[in-house]
Amino acid sequence: MGQTEGFETDFWKHADLRKVWDDIVPGEPRKTIPYTLTREAIELYCASVGEDHPIYFDEEYAKRTIYGGLIAPPSIHILLMFACTPADDWMRSPGTVNAGQSWSYNIPARPGDVITLQARALDKFIRRERLFVVHDNVFFNQQGQVICSGRGWTIRPQ
Amino acid sequence: MSVTFESLRAGDSIDGPIFPVSRESIRLFCDASLDYNPLHLDDEYMEGNFGKTHFGGIIMHGMNNFGLISRMITDWAYAAGAIHRRLETRWIKPVRPGDTIQPVGTVRSKQTTAKSHWVLIDVTVCNQTGEKVASGEAMVEFPAT
Repeated sequence: MGQTEGFETDFWKHADLRKVWDDIVPGEPRKTIPYTLTREAIELYCASVGEDHPIYFDEEYAKRTIYGGLIAPPSIHILLMFACTPADDWMRSPGTVNAGQSWSYNIPARPGDVITLQARALDKFIRRERLFVVHDNVFFNQQGQVICSGRGWTIRPQ
Repeated sequence: MSVTFESLRAGDSIDGPIFPVSRESIRLFCDASLDYNPLHLDDEYMEGNFGKTHFGGIIMHGMNNFGLISRMITDWAYAAGAIHRRLETRWIKPVRPGDTIQPVGTVRSKQTTAKSHWVLIDVTVCNQTGEKVASGEAMVEFPAT
């Protein structure tokens, strides 16, 4: 899996470097890293959810569509979220529970795009003894165009 | 029959893909998403308690539901010349290896704005016993021609 080269898959490593709920400052930008989206990464993501539309795989077909070439499925931000954040990011804290997400899509990501992320916690709160954080994320392509923007709610490990 | 904005009615349904969940499908999703949270990998860890929650074994990524719903919406939209613009989801029950899940959409309403046409779709994901594991809503744009 070329996608995982250099990616630390043991989320327990660096766990002590990550912010806990108490440390998270809503509004403070998170450290992010640019990521070059490859055709292989798109195809692996497609395989994991059974995406089989030719717009993701068949260059000749894709050229004849309104998109004019291959694109990634909109939900590729699932991969981008981890690909664009460093190992000490608190998204990777073991036991982080995803409570819900909302995403708006502007233009598709494409193979070869160099994607950047602007991310922060927007809010944090306690409800029924659970520690929540509201995530605010925007992905851009190399031209500075918004690909998609999303809000997520996670329950932080205690 | 191709779907058009004009022909759609509230209550029209969209069938999503039937998806068998296994340890292998969850592992593949880890590799594809780079989400290696032990919730999805480590049975021993999952024997513990998470605040008030006890899972008792590994669970599927919530975002795997999201990806399946998104697949349903995009495949439906591409065929109609429409664009998937938004998806909001909530997770209701954990999904485990051995479950089979399927997203389904129902057209809730249509709206015309100054520059475009929009279809709002309620979505649910159910498991093999009909229990709802996720719910949400999607917004699809039918560009004005």
